[in-house]
Amino acid sequence: MGAHASDHPVPAILAEVKPAVMPRPVLVANNRDFHWITEKICGLVEGKTPVWWWWCFGAAAFVASFTIAGLIYLVATGVGVWGHANPVNWAWDIVNFVFWIGIGHAGTLISAILCLLRQKWRTSINRPAEAMTIFAVVCAAIFPVFHVGRIWFAVTPGWLFPFPNSNGIWQNFRSPLEWDVFAVSTYGTVSVLFWYVGLIPDLGTLRDRFTAAGNVLKARIYGFFAMGWRGSNRQWSNYEMAYLILAGISTPLVLSVHTIVSFDFAVSLIPGWHTTIFPPYFVAGAIFSGFGMVLTLMLPLRAVYRLDDLITQYHIDCMCKIILATGTMVGYAYSMEFFIAWYGANPYEGFAFINRAFGHYAWAYWIMISCNVITPQFFWFKAVRNNTTLVWILCLFVNVGMWFERFVIIVTSLARDFLPSSWGYYSPSIVEIFTFFGTFGVFSVLFLLFIRFLPIMPMSEIKMVIPAADPHGSTKH
Amino acid sequence: MSAPASTASLANKFLGAGLAGLALTAVGLFVSDPHGVALSYLIGISYWCAIAIGMLLLIIIHHLTDSGWSTVIRRQYEHGVSAFTWLAVLFVPLLLSAWLKPGFIWPWMDLAHPLHGGHGTVGQDVLYVKKAGFLNQGMFTGMTIGFFVIWIGLSALFRKASFTQDRDGDPKWTSLSRRTAAAGVVLTALSLTFASIYWMKSLEYHWFSTMYGVWFFANCVRGALAFAVFITVWLYARGDYKGIYNTNQFHTLVALAFAFVVFWAYVTFSQYFLIWNANVPEETFWYNIREHGDWLWVGMLLLFGHFFVPFLAWLVYRWKAERRPAFIISAWVAVIILVDICYNVLPALKDAHDEPLPFLSINLLWVLTSVVGVGGICVWSYLRSLATTKLIPIRDPRIVESLTHHEAAAPEPGQVVEGAH
Amino acid sequence: MNKTYGIIAAFDTTPEIYQACEKVRDAGYTQWDALTPFPVHGLDYAMGLRRSKVPRFSLAGGITGFTVGMGFIAWLGLSEYPLVVGGKPMFSPMFAFPVSYELTILFTAFATIGGMFFLNRLPMHYHPVMKAPQFVRAMDDRFYIVIETNDPKFNATATRDLLVKIGGKDIAELEA
Repeated sequence: MGAHASDHPVPAILAEVKPAVMPRPVLVANNRDFHWITEKICGLVEGKTPVWWWWCFGAAAFVASFTIAGLIYLVATGVGVWGHANPVNWAWDIVNFVFWIGIGHAGTLISAILCLLRQKWRTSINRPAEAMTIFAVVCAAIFPVFHVGRIWFAVTPGWLFPFPNSNGIWQNFRSPLEWDVFAVSTYGTVSVLFWYVGLIPDLGTLRDRFTAAGNVLKARIYGFFAMGWRGSNRQWSNYEMAYLILAGISTPLVLSVHTIVSFDFAVSLIPGWHTTIFPPYFVAGAIFSGFGMVLTLMLPLRAVYRLDDLITQYHIDCMCKIILATGTMVGYAYSMEFFIAWYGANPYEGFAFINRAFGHYAWAYWIMISCNVITPQFFWFKAVRNNTTLVWILCLFVNVGMWFERFVIIVTSLARDFLPSSWGYYSPSIVEIFTFFGTFGVFSVLFLLFIRFLPIMPMSEIKMVIPAADPHGSTKH
Repeated sequence: MSAPASTASLANKFLGAGLAGLALTAVGLFVSDPHGVALSYLIGISYWCAIAIGMLLLIIIHHLTDSGWSTVIRRQYEHGVSAFTWLAVLFVPLLLSAWLKPGFIWPWMDLAHPLHGGHGTVGQDVLYVKKAGFLNQGMFTGMTIGFFVIWIGLSALFRKASFTQDRDGDPKWTSLSRRTAAAGVVLTALSLTFASIYWMKSLEYHWFSTMYGVWFFANCVRGALAFAVFITVWLYARGDYKGIYNTNQFHTLVALAFAFVVFWAYVTFSQYFLIWNANVPEETFWYNIREHGDWLWVGMLLLFGHFFVPFLAWLVYRWKAERRPAFIISAWVAVIILVDICYNVLPALKDAHDEPLPFLSINLLWVLTSVVGVGGICVWSYLRSLATTKLIPIRDPRIVESLTHHEAAAPEPGQVVEGAH
Repeated sequence: MNKTYGIIAAFDTTPEIYQACEKVRDAGYTQWDALTPFPVHGLDYAMGLRRSKVPRFSLAGGITGFTVGMGFIAWLGLSEYPLVVGGKPMFSPMFAFPVSYELTILFTAFATIGGMFFLNRLPMHYHPVMKAPQFVRAMDDRFYIVIETNDPKFNATATRDLLVKIGGKDIAELEA
C-alpha cells in the first residue's frame, strides 16, 4: 500500500505476490485431450450393447413389473388395497413420493446451483444426475396420482389442473396439494427442458459422427434432436446465456419444490408437522438423499465403464463433503425441532417428539438418526472418502435413512395426534410394499436406457474444464 | 509496508464518533425511557454482531469450498472480525443489567415481573416455568460468554493463519484454516442460533419458531456482504484496489449478495407463510403485534425494501457490476437490516394496554446513537487491523487465481463507470 | 459450380482460435463465425459480440407467468368461484404465491429456451458448414473460422490471405 496505486498501472503489491504452492486437483485425470473425451463418451453410445447391460435390464424390468402389477391391482380394486386406515390416511404413498422427489433434487442441485457457484467439478456428473432427477420425478409422480384411487380423475383436465369442466367446479388454491400439482409438474417440465438443452451440443457431436460413419438412420435420429446445432460461437453465446438463466431459475425452483412439499405438512396443525424450519430442512434433506443416490449410481458406473479419469477421487471427495454438510444441516434441523418442541411448551408438540424417539415407532426414528446424522460423520475422514466401496455402502445407508425420515415425520405424527381415542398403528400392505419395491425397477430401466442411448457425460462441458481449453494457455497442442 | 497516514486519522475519527455515540446512549438512559434506550443498545450490539458473524461465516465458507475468487476480499473480512473483542466488551453492560436489574431488558429474568391482564407474574407463568431450565440468568450469561469465546477464538485462528502465511508462505496455514473452518461452521451455526434466541427471540418468550436462527444467519451474511461492498468501493476510491480488484470480482461479490437477498426472502417468507396458514394463536400473536399501529408499515417496508428493491435492482447486470449502483443498493440493504432487527426487538416495548409502542418514536434516536456508538468502535477496530497487514494475502495459494478472476474480458470497475466515488 | 457460402479455416488449439478471432474482428469483418466444440471462455469478447439478448425473453416470460398466476387465482376466488375454505380470505397473495411462483419459473424456462432457439435460428437442419467434410471435427477437437461471402469486406483473395496470415489451416471454400 506504500505507493499510491492510482498513479501506476500495476500496483506495487502485485510484485510481492508469490503464492504458496497448493495445486488444485485436476478434473480430468491423466492429461486427457479433447479427442479422448469425445471417443470415450461417444464410444459408449456407439459400441455394441454389453452383455451385462442386458442382464441388468432384464432384472430391472422384472422388478419394475411389481409396480405395474401393484398399480393394475389397485386400479382394478380400489385404494383399500393399500394399508392406510384411520388415523394414518397418508402413509407410504406420500413417504415414497417425498423420497423420490427428494432424490431428484441432487440432479438439479448439481446442474444448477453448482453451475452458479462455478464449481467446475460438476461437469462430469451433471448429466447422469439430471437424468436421475427426471426418472426420480417419474417414480415420485406415480404415488400421488394413484393415491387418488380413481386414476382417470387425475388425468382428466379439470381435476388436478384448472380447466373449465361441466360441473363448474374449480380447484382449491388454498390447498398445499394443489400447490404440489403445480410445483411437481413445473419441476418435471423444467428438468426435462434443462436436460435437453444440455444435451443439444452432444447430440450434434453424435449426429456428425454417425454421418461420418455412414449410419444414416442414427444420424437422422440424433440429428433431429440436435436441432441443427453447429457449435458456432454466435450460437454458443446465446446458448450459454440461456443455460445460465435456466440454472438461475432452476435453483429457486428446486428450493421451491421441496419447500412446497414441506408445506403439505407444515401448514397443517398436526404436532410434529407444523414447524417453521420445515422448508430449508426438507431442502437440505432432499439434497442429502440425492447425493447419496448420485454416488450409489455413479460409483458402479465409474467402475463398469472405467471412467476413473473423468470421475476422479476429487469428485467423490466433493460429493462426500456435500453429503456431510447437508447431513449435518439435517441434524441441525432435527435438534432445532426437538429444542423448540420443548421451548414452545406446547404439550402436544412435546409429546409428538418424545413419541417419535421413544414411542411405538422408535425403531424407525433411531434408524433415521443413525443413517442421516451419524453415517455422514464418517465422511470427515479422508481414509473413508478414499475407500470407494465404503463410500458406496455409506450412501446406501443415506438412502435408507432418508426414506425413514419421511416415514417418521408422516406416520408417527398421524398415528398419535391430539385425541388418544383415535390413535392407531399403521403397517403397510403387501401391495404397497411391492409397488414401492417396483419403482426401483422403473427407475433402473429408465436409467439403463439413458446410459445406453445418450452421452452419459456432457462432452462439451468437460472439454471446457481441461487445461487445453484455456484461451490464454500454451499454444502447444 | 505501512498504511497511508489517512487510515490512522480516519480510525481516530471513528473511535471518536463511537465514543460519542456510546456517551449519548448512556445519557439517554437518564433523559428518556431507559427500557427503550436499553433495547436500542441491544439493537446496536446485535446489528454489529450480525455483520461480524457474517464476515466470520464468509471466511469459513471461503475455506470450506476452497474458493478462488474471494481470496482478495477475504483479507478484509479478517480485519472485520477483529471487532468481536470489542463487541464482547460492549456487551458487558447488558450482562450486568441481567444481574443488577433483572427483567429490565429480558422480562423473563425477573420472576416478579407482572404479566399483562392480571395473569400473575412471570414466575407463575406455566409457559415460563416450562422453559426455566433454558431461560435463566446463569444459562444466559454462560451461553453469551460462550458465543463470544467461539467467535473471538475462531477469528483469532483465521487471522493468525492468514497473517502468518503472508510472511512464511507455508501452505500448511491454508490446510489449518480449512480444518478450523470445518469445526467452526458447526460452532458458529449453533452459537448464532442461540444468540438470536437469547438476545432477541426471548424478549417475547411465549413465541417460538424453528426458523429463527436461519433468519438471523441470512441477515448476518447479507450485512457482511453489504459491508464488503462498502470496503471494496472505499479501497478502490483510495486507490488501493486499482489494478487489483476487477469488474468480475466485484460482480461475483454482488451476485453473492443477490443470492442472499433471495435466501433471506425465502426464509422470512416461509416463517410468515407457515404461521399465517396454520393460524395458531400461540404463534400468530407475534405477528399480530407487528401489524399494530405503524409496525404494519414497517413490515411492508421489510417486504418491499428488504426483498423487492434489491432483488429487482440487482436483476440488472450493470447494477451488479458497477460500483456506484451496487454501493447505493448495499447501503440501502445495510439500513434495512437494521430495520429488520428493530422489527424483531422493539415491539417488545409495550404501553399500559400491552400494545407495542410505535416504531416512529424517540427510540429511533437511541437506536441511531447505539449503532453509531458500537459501529464506530467496530470500524475503528477494522481500520486499526487494516493498517497492520498487507492489503491482500500475498502468499495465499489461490491469490493469483483470485487476482485474475475471469480476466479475459474484464475491464476494471473504473472503466465501466469513470469516477464513481 | 454453386455459389460460395464462405471460406473456412481450421485452428488446432484454443489460444490459436482466440487470437485469430481477435484479428478477424480487428480486420472489420461482421458476417463471420467461429465453430468450436465447446464454448471458449472469453471468445465473445474476442469476436466483439455483444451480451446475449436471451435475458429479455426470460424477463418477459417471468412477468407473464407471475401475472397469469396471481390474476387467475384472484379471478377464481373473487369472481368466478368464490368459496370459503378453512376460514381464509377469498383471495390473498399469500396462498396464491406458490402457484404464481411456479408459473413464473415455468414461463421463464419456456421463454428462455424459446428465445435461445429463436436467436440461434434453431432448428436449422441444413447449414452450408455441415456439408464440409472437416465439420465432424468441429464438434470434437478442432476449431474453425468461417467468413461469409456476403460480408461487405469479403474478397476471395484478401480474406483467404488474412486467414493464412492468422494461422488458419486446411483453408477451403464452402458451397452454399
